Amino acid sequence: MTKTLQLLFTLVIVGNCYAYPEFQKFSQTHSGRPINCAMCHANGDGPEGASRGQIGSLTPDELNKLNAARGAFAPGVPIQSPILNAFGNNIITVIGKTKFLELRAHPEQLAEVYGYQSDLDGDGITDAQEYLEGTHPLNNVHGDPMRLFLHNLKAFRLHVTLIVLATIAGFYGFSHLLHGLSASASTKSSVERYP
Amino acid sequence: MKQPLVSTLFDFIASRIPLHKLDVRHMITEKEVPVHRMSWGYYVGGLALFFFIIQVFTGMMLLFYYEPTVSEAHESVEYITHFVTMGALIRNLHAWSASFMIFCVIAHMLSALAMKAFAKPREITWIAGVLLLLITFGFGFTGYLLPWNQIAVNATKVGLASIDQMGQYLPAALSHLAEDVRVTIQGAPAIGQATLSRFFALHVVILPLMVFGVIGLHVLSVQLHGMSPGIEDKPRRKDKFFPIFILKDFKEWGIAFLVLFILSLCLPFDSLFPYPLLEPYNALGSTPDGIKPEWYFYFVYYPMELLPFWIIIVVMTLATLGLFAAPWIFKGTSHKTMRWIASAIAAYMIIMTLFGENIYHAIKG
Repeated sequence: MTKTLQLLFTLVIVGNCYAYPEFQKFSQTHSGRPINCAMCHANGDGPEGASRGQIGSLTPDELNKLNAARGAFAPGVPIQSPILNAFGNNIITVIGKTKFLELRAHPEQLAEVYGYQSDLDGDGITDAQEYLEGTHPLNNVHGDPMRLFLHNLKAFRLHVTLIVLATIAGFYGFSHLLHGLSASASTKSSVERYP
Repeated sequence: MKQPLVSTLFDFIASRIPLHKLDVRHMITEKEVPVHRMSWGYYVGGLALFFFIIQVFTGMMLLFYYEPTVSEAHESVEYITHFVTMGALIRNLHAWSASFMIFCVIAHMLSALAMKAFAKPREITWIAGVLLLLITFGFGFTGYLLPWNQIAVNATKVGLASIDQMGQYLPAALSHLAEDVRVTIQGAPAIGQATLSRFFALHVVILPLMVFGVIGLHVLSVQLHGMSPGIEDKPRRKDKFFPIFILKDFKEWGIAFLVLFILSLCLPFDSLFPYPLLEPYNALGSTPDGIKPEWYFYFVYYPMELLPFWIIIVVMTLATLGLFAAPWIFKGTSHKTMRWIASAIAAYMIIMTLFGENIYHAIKG
């Protein structure tokens, strides 16, 4: 009951609130990957509802942050909308709400307008590239497998070199141990057979 | 006069597990392994064992942090991945080696089929191998649920629902049996904590214990009877089991370890999924699009999506029974025919694994 009242209250105060599925649809079509609202939103089912990260669950303080975010029309205003994740918030911060709403008609231009500098999850693939490829910009284990592999191989080249050397050294020592044991066993067996 | 059944069974077991032949010194100094064009099949079995050992070690490390409760499971996996030192590496080693292990077990089984390695007196080695294959699939199915995310739970629901569907093909008096089996596995009428607890127990205790027992029987049986000849012709040569074969085995283990380690370090297993490990399971949340099981179930999954369910049940039941009974069904079959049969099964599995989705979309539109 309290949740329902809170949701009604939110809708009255904040007004109608909708997600912008044009971007989700574009990313899904362009990449061929299944994508849900969690790419930009705090909740995978979008902002409407009473679950965690949805409007119906917001505290008065979070509602204030939401309203501040909804008013960030110009670029460069840092926002912390509780219904968006870090990528969603960064989009509005970088390009501003006005430009974002304009791009609804051209979701394919979002990557260019947002720019290819930011890499929020540090996986070596920029957020804009992840938007185009339908992978999650905030998850460093989700991305184009080949790009991730090459990025990590470069980052961990010392570890890889060390493990290769350790394996070769281990095998070298082990093979000598086995040959020694084998020679010893053969000698023992011959001595037993032909004392 | 006909021998009593129990006596026949004892004779069979005694001749297939001749423990009096167990001689460690002979194994070290005299045992030989034939070298021929199908010898790779012997090494694939060793690789499956290697990946299983990796599974055990990495699984034990994951156990230190994993919490098998519906409220903590997902968070604990996230914690392992992002906050535990080398947690992501250990989790990746576990996930990659699981896939490699299943691949090696399937390849080893097909090579054994092609080599007719089940022929007398190696029937028990073969049956133990088939059991290991089924247990390995069990590991895959139970392990998939443990991260308790939206995809894992929904995929497990689909898998368990297929048990329910079997009920409609059973006689009326037994029709409730399928639901009973599903509820027994699930632990409750709906998927929840009881299911997670049971899958966890199966994954970390019951199945590993079964594997240790069956691997023991499998390896013991191989040692007692030696490697199967593999081909009709004379082998090119024979290698000493110790140290030549063992060394070659370890060399392959070393290469496998390097490949596994570099992959686990540089290519997160999650990156191959359409969805990342993102949201914990929410019963009210939507089922993600494009949900499908792990790659090693594609050979059953796509036909299941395309054909009537009863055909799948009949084919799978016959295939499983056929695998167990292979030593008797193919008793008089030539090696050449066995190679054809094994190649046909391998071709089917490769096509379904690589192109199953394309075939599905081509047929369903």
